[in-house]
Amino acid sequence: MNSPFALLSLIIAVPFIGLLFALTAKDDEAASSGRNVLNVSIFAIIANIILIFRIFMLIDTTKPGLQLVEKFNWLENPQINIMFGADVFSMLLILAVHLAVLIGFVGVRNNPKQQKTLMVFSLLFLSMSTGFFVAADIFSFYIFFEAMLLPLFMLCGIFGEIKKSGAIYRFFHYNFVGALILFSAVMILYHYKNGAVEISLLSKLPLKQHIEYYIWAAVFLSFLSRIPVWPFHSWLAAVSSGIKNPLVFIIANIMPLTGVYGFIRFLPKALPDAVSYYLVILEVVAVITMLFIALIGFIHKDSQYKIFAYVTVYYVMYLLGIMYKTDLILLNIGYSVFSYLIIVSGLAVINYYIHQQQEEYELNSEGFLCMVPKVSFVYSYLILAGIGLPLSSLFLNNFLILSKLMSNNIKMGMIVVFSLVLVAGSLLQELYKLRNNRTECAIDANPCDISPARFAFMIAIIFVLIMSFIKPLWFVVGS
Amino acid sequence: MLQNFLTLFPEFSLLACLVVMFFVNRYREAKTARTFFTISKIFVAVALLSTVVFYNMHPFKGWLANSSYTTMFKAVIYLLALPWFFLSCKWYFNKNRLTYGFYSLCVAALLVFSLLISAQNLAVLSVSILVLVIINYFLILQKENDEEQTLEIAHNYLGFGLFFAALMLAGTFILYHNSGSLSYADIASYLRKQPLGIEDVCAVALVIAPLLFMLAAAPLHFWFAGVISVSILPVSGFLTFIAVFAYVGALSSLVLQAFSPILPLLNPVFVVFAFFSMFTGALSSNGESDFRKLFAYSSVYHLGFVLVSLVAFDANSILSALVYLCVYALAMFGIYTVFLGLKTNGEYLRKISSLAGMAEVRPYVSAAFLIFMVSLIGSPPMLGFLGRLSIINNLVVEGHWAMMVIVLSSLLLLANSYLQIIRSLYFEPRATTFDRIDKGIYICLFINLVIVIISLLNPGYLLHDAEKIIVRFLQ
Repeated sequence: MNSPFALLSLIIAVPFIGLLFALTAKDDEAASSGRNVLNVSIFAIIANIILIFRIFMLIDTTKPGLQLVEKFNWLENPQINIMFGADVFSMLLILAVHLAVLIGFVGVRNNPKQQKTLMVFSLLFLSMSTGFFVAADIFSFYIFFEAMLLPLFMLCGIFGEIKKSGAIYRFFHYNFVGALILFSAVMILYHYKNGAVEISLLSKLPLKQHIEYYIWAAVFLSFLSRIPVWPFHSWLAAVSSGIKNPLVFIIANIMPLTGVYGFIRFLPKALPDAVSYYLVILEVVAVITMLFIALIGFIHKDSQYKIFAYVTVYYVMYLLGIMYKTDLILLNIGYSVFSYLIIVSGLAVINYYIHQQQEEYELNSEGFLCMVPKVSFVYSYLILAGIGLPLSSLFLNNFLILSKLMSNNIKMGMIVVFSLVLVAGSLLQELYKLRNNRTECAIDANPCDISPARFAFMIAIIFVLIMSFIKPLWFVVGS
Repeated sequence: MLQNFLTLFPEFSLLACLVVMFFVNRYREAKTARTFFTISKIFVAVALLSTVVFYNMHPFKGWLANSSYTTMFKAVIYLLALPWFFLSCKWYFNKNRLTYGFYSLCVAALLVFSLLISAQNLAVLSVSILVLVIINYFLILQKENDEEQTLEIAHNYLGFGLFFAALMLAGTFILYHNSGSLSYADIASYLRKQPLGIEDVCAVALVIAPLLFMLAAAPLHFWFAGVISVSILPVSGFLTFIAVFAYVGALSSLVLQAFSPILPLLNPVFVVFAFFSMFTGALSSNGESDFRKLFAYSSVYHLGFVLVSLVAFDANSILSALVYLCVYALAMFGIYTVFLGLKTNGEYLRKISSLAGMAEVRPYVSAAFLIFMVSLIGSPPMLGFLGRLSIINNLVVEGHWAMMVIVLSSLLLLANSYLQIIRSLYFEPRATTFDRIDKGIYICLFINLVIVIISLLNPGYLLHDAEKIIVRFLQ
């Protein structure tokens, strides 16, 4: 089915157009009363979400394969055709990313510092990541894969408070090298096919054995550079723990999703020999990483690091799930990631709010939530949903992914479950600390609870999570 | 005969410009920075127009020849020169200095570039190079104060430049002695027929080396960073992104028309120069704290990139080199435009550390700076990606896998050096105040960015006609 009105191109363009408007909007720091830049950016995201719903209505959710395909001739020599396409999985991720960034925008609403820069780079990231998720040929895939780097790098550098450490350089080098490796693989593949190469047809190319080994090694390395798997984990850990801005934290933690998605798109259902060889190594490394980070998260006192550990362990679990590539598992991963991104974003925003209040009123963590019931409710809900209780689509879908992992390799499955229990424990530990009112803290202090508008927004987010538990595609008519 | 002179109308108009400027400088009392800019822009525009009109006419057969291919290079040079003249005028306004020296030298250089690109004869080539060395020397001497360092660097440049020009004359003489002619076509047929002697090979090397010296291809780049660093901004810009087109145009014409029979022999030489340039450029730019020098080394790197692509000297390789050059010129033009806006108390900035926190107070200029740097490392979604794609594609077509790996790894080194500037611009707290930026600079940046965006969305504008022209030229 071809796309009417080039809708897929449109959802890439809308955040970019929003960016241009944000760029020319009056600066918030200069006019304290207004929030022009933020409002323009929120408007752009909401407009795009509406378009995304429209696309959901147009695609057949029961059909596998890409739909609403759009093709453009971008370059004549070398002949490069850009191709976009969408399926339920990619659209779910796009929607989740949009919602996550929207939650992040709400989180930084009262933070006017360099808001224009923040919004502009966030919208650029959103535009590029949307392009990445709808890319259907290797060239557009690569272009958006690398294009996401710039906004994220700038956001982490400006708002990450990691300027003095080498983390920002590590971040850049890991990702840039990954992108260059993918570029070399893309160029080689392009010349084998001598024209536009659809990602879905990659595994059918008659490659020589040594080329095939190189291509898959390049694909694995480049995507792994985005996922916090050893030895690539160091940049994300350093960057994540240094970010105080919730929006930047959210965007930084969307980045591994692009690596996971890369595997989903590139790995064929029938794995070639070259892939099987790398998969074994990847499995071992992934499981060790998962266990290691879950343990560190459990021991670490910083709540931000605990969220990072949670994020990492889940991404690695999805990565392991992808290796047993079936349509059912992929769909489950899609449903699970949808809730997972919303939960992580919500946690990041609330966590930032709690830290702000603690700093302002010089409070410690213990028992803090007892003073702010609305925050307490939202935070508790998100933590409980996050650890996999039946409050969001994580519950059922994770269960299915885990059962698949265990049925294939019981030892590995057990380690994955153990890691999940550890990160769940670390989040509960944090929740317990924040709700524990045995200490004498804050008898005189009176920290602000979240505003009614923000609370209403959070309730809406909780509603989305509940609905995703009842029916993952509840918003699609006739799904 | 009359037709010959008519065909040289672009060159005559530039010559007329020099004459008019001379008389205006001599007899007009009320001169401002704008006076010579106005004269030069009119004559350069006429030269551009007449170049296009006489695009396929051959004045003085065997000496000069015009074709779509040469016109393409010349047109790009004039098109870049016009806005650069406009921006240079801003610099002179700020410094409150007369512009006669700068504009007359630049117009003279444009005139010689035109002859250099059209040259069909080694005599024209050698004399053009000699004259350009002298013009460049005087351009370097357009200094702000009587700085000894500038004088020293200019003298050094003149010494080496004359040495290389002498080498070219020697090579020309040897080839003339052996082949009995100086025209490219005769030399090509001589090289095709004869079993090559060491004398011929040396002569070819002597002719090519000065062009590589002028191009600042490593290891013959030793003069470039110093010259760019001490020259005034208008001169640095002119040497960085305008002159390079003339030298690449002349080099490709020379190799394709005169030395094509010994191309297999020349290929490894170009490869060595290309790799030296890329690695030297990328490595040296990493240790620089002066951003003008950093970009000078970065230019050496980009030139290596162009040479890597040129090596095969076929339609694909020339097209990809040309695309890369255009992308490079647009980005470098943008970066030098930004340099013109970087001032504190009227003084132009040089140190990377002095850019600290500029993004806070000059967000648009900082964003433009960022975009051009990202474009230079060839990262999507910027136009530079097109250049990188074009060159890497050419390497893959030729099956040069090792080259591809080397090119990409040196790119990483270069990106690291730009990181220092990005860090200072965006991640450091502000350390100084920045002067107001002239509207003209914003307008030029805006136009540059619009061209970049249009070319990115539809690269056909940039490539399609260029490809046809190159194919026709090679036939």
